[in-house]
Amino acid sequence: MTPDSILVVGAGLAGARCADTLRAESYEGHLTLVGDELLPPYERPALSKEFLAGRKAEHELVLRPPAFWTEQQIDLRLGQRVVRIDPRRRTATTEAGVELGWNALVLATGARPRRLPFPTPRGVHLLRTVVDARALRDGLVPGAHLVVVGGGFVGAEVASTALALGVRVTMLEALATPFERTLGPTLGRLLADRYRSHGVDLRVRTGALRFGSGPDGAVRSVLLTDRSEVRCDVALVGIGVEPANELVPSPVEGVSIFACGDVTGGPGHWTNAAAEATAVARRILGLPQQPPQPAFFWSDQFGLRLQLVGSASATAAIELEGGREDFIARYHDGEGRLMAALGANRPAEVARLRRELAVAA
Amino acid sequence: MYRIEIDRTLCSGFGVCAELAPDVIELGKDGLASVRTGSTEDPVVLRAAAACPMAAITVIEERAA
Repeated sequence: MTPDSILVVGAGLAGARCADTLRAESYEGHLTLVGDELLPPYERPALSKEFLAGRKAEHELVLRPPAFWTEQQIDLRLGQRVVRIDPRRRTATTEAGVELGWNALVLATGARPRRLPFPTPRGVHLLRTVVDARALRDGLVPGAHLVVVGGGFVGAEVASTALALGVRVTMLEALATPFERTLGPTLGRLLADRYRSHGVDLRVRTGALRFGSGPDGAVRSVLLTDRSEVRCDVALVGIGVEPANELVPSPVEGVSIFACGDVTGGPGHWTNAAAEATAVARRILGLPQQPPQPAFFWSDQFGLRLQLVGSASATAAIELEGGREDFIARYHDGEGRLMAALGANRPAEVARLRRELAVAA
Repeated sequence: MYRIEIDRTLCSGFGVCAELAPDVIELGKDGLASVRTGSTEDPVVLRAAAACPMAAITVIEERAA
């Protein structure tokens, strides 16, 4: 039976998408979308790119025009953090003490960036929200020196944006190459060469031990695991995320609680938040599920638009075709089946690769 | 009647939309989706929008007055 009221906790891509799909599929009950950020649901990927570079303003990040939520009769409550779920009474309580009732609950609380295990002075940033991005952007002034801890996608995109802004960049990668575990060493070396040729001081097999700060409390330097010290005015910690799953209650018989997006993932796991959100909305409404699509991920960095379809593995056999400026890497499993494909500056081929993968699956 | 909007700055060429609703959405030479026709009666556009991993497609249902 369709629930009378649905509460979606978390107003990121997954939460917004779930609410949006419920209405698009003609759900007519009471629908509330509650999130702790102030900006209406927005696209996070731009935070490390166009927004950080100052090419997109905050209001251009929003996924839907502000009027959309009212028109769709979605009760959008921003700046409200849910701190407690009571599955027996079917309530959610916000930090301000407001109690929200529900018949069905969707948890789309996302993920939060992992922190370093030592104190970080002013000027050391994490990047997840538009507030984080604004603070980081203020530090990326021409001539500044940025240290990026972690050679993952967020770190690489920020490094790329910062270089274009005239910032000097040092990147610390714990493994032998960036993306060694996710894309494999062949692609890792290729990307490492590219970062260096663009002017990144990439230090591999290196981490941060502690930050040093000036008399004003702002970061001045970072001490590395090889005991060398690098001066810096600003730093980004991009060492992955962990699911924000502390609200997930233990299951109660007959109570409908769903989850979608990054909250369902483990560290470093890429979820297709939009697809999961749609699937949850359809499940709530008792609609048939759509055929699953291969995982998809994309990143713009150092003049490459990287698009990954499927699930790459560091141990897969990799077949690389193309040159430095555009290529396709195909990942095959032990039986020679296509597991994933990574395109660089080959957007016109992504749709074909996706179809190939759907057939291989 | 459904009206379709594609945010091309969000589109990243996944292409499943054009497969589901080829009469309404096409992939250009750049690999990105564009609207072939701005409105349609066919509810398949709802599925096309839902299948987009980037949430780049908005479908607005316009009810006749």
